[in-house]
Amino acid sequence: MKTMKKLLALLMALAMVFALAACSSSSSDDSSEVESEVAYIQDQGVLVVGITDFEPMDYKDEDGNWIGFDADMATAFAESLGVTVEFVEINWDNKILELDAGSIDCVWNGMTLTDEVTSSMECSNAYCNNTQVVVLPADVADQYDTVESMADLTFAVEAGSAGESQAIANGFATTAVTSQADALMEVAAGTSDAAVIDALMAGAMVGEGTSYADLTYTISLNEDEGEEYGVGFRKGSDLAEALNEFFAESYADGTMMAIAEQYGVQAAIIAQ
Amino acid sequence: MELFLEQFPIVVQSLNTGFLQTLRLFFVTLLGALPLGLVISFGSMSRFRPLSWLTRTIVWIVRGTPLMIQLLIVYYFPGLVMGNNIWGSGESGRFLAASIAFILNYACYFSEIYRGGIQSIPKGQQEAGLVLGMTKRQIFCRVTLLQVVKRIVPPMSNEIITLVKDTSLARIIALQEVIWAGQAFLKGSQGISGVIWPLFFTAVYYLLFTGVLTILLGRLEKRLDYFR
Repeated sequence: MKTMKKLLALLMALAMVFALAACSSSSSDDSSEVESEVAYIQDQGVLVVGITDFEPMDYKDEDGNWIGFDADMATAFAESLGVTVEFVEINWDNKILELDAGSIDCVWNGMTLTDEVTSSMECSNAYCNNTQVVVLPADVADQYDTVESMADLTFAVEAGSAGESQAIANGFATTAVTSQADALMEVAAGTSDAAVIDALMAGAMVGEGTSYADLTYTISLNEDEGEEYGVGFRKGSDLAEALNEFFAESYADGTMMAIAEQYGVQAAIIAQ
Repeated sequence: MELFLEQFPIVVQSLNTGFLQTLRLFFVTLLGALPLGLVISFGSMSRFRPLSWLTRTIVWIVRGTPLMIQLLIVYYFPGLVMGNNIWGSGESGRFLAASIAFILNYACYFSEIYRGGIQSIPKGQQEAGLVLGMTKRQIFCRVTLLQVVKRIVPPMSNEIITLVKDTSLARIIALQEVIWAGQAFLKGSQGISGVIWPLFFTAVYYLLFTGVLTILLGRLEKRLDYFR
């Protein structure tokens, strides 16, 4: 018994020393990747794109392939770099963590260029316009056609989203949930009176012919100033510049608009 | 109704894929944590003070912080702090990171159950064994261990059933387990978007699986009904 215990104690101690050694040894390499991310991506042979399921930008078709305006553009961009594209579903709350930890190379998922985003990522030029709209049950929608009339409603918004900041700016009572889809569920379940989400998403998911046929979207909260979608890379990455060039080319030769028409977002595209 | 019948097979197939990942995490965690827990319990009972002190500190840290934070630390720290993302970005790396966090977390809980079981055996039995001329190893294997296994089954069953449901925490690092699969239909997946019921339907999977486990663990308890 005593020897067995001692043996185990020794094994434990060894395991710990080994774990510590493993920690320290892996920190020294990889100092070159800061220089050129384009070269790094080409060296890896793959561009890892962080996405969430977000119709009509990134979503799965019946066969389980990723399609959508953003997905198709990302595939074309990867091709232009001579690498393959890999889509990885991430938890949207952790997008900056994923990027900085190197588990993805870019966030390309209808991301609104807010101050938080532009300060923590290297962002491409804006490529798509968006506004934040109010989603309501269709049967009461005509009672709420101005911001003033909505003062008593409770709003579900995605935590950290542009919709949340617009709702707060208008003095609405908000509940933060984890995604825009959850915000829609809140309205459908009646746990919130209304939601504030992206106009592009509302166009694809709310109203007749969709699963949320009982809901509708009314006024836009920021029609005047509007907002724009961009693609985020690691801070200081030269991939943002490469993407801007790619955007300019594909806008000029018409491929960008052709893809946009396929997903019904052509009206929102920004000239490059 | 017609739409529901059309969607049902697609949803179930997707949930099955998700639940397979849940099961994989569950079994890998058990496989790793059951033996590691025993090693840790020996460490915390060791008479070599620095070792028992170190092990107990680790157990305190692991049991004293949320598993969700541990998952975030295991998956993101290598890339963030050491500048070298050792996990890769695909599903397999996320699964590996989740497994390590779960095994360490559950091993610490198991170790305390083992320790409680081992220390609950009266010392008089060891003394009696020594008087009869048995070696310490013989006493542990033939006298103590048999009784420990029997005594720890109820608390272990408790932890194992908790583990089934805790696997859902892994979605914080985007491991696509069954709740993730259910929630995907809220946004839109495979042509179905804005559908709420799959998320709640995932509860059926957990309920059925814990039901099976409850029966199996109950049988094990009966099987171990020796002595008395």
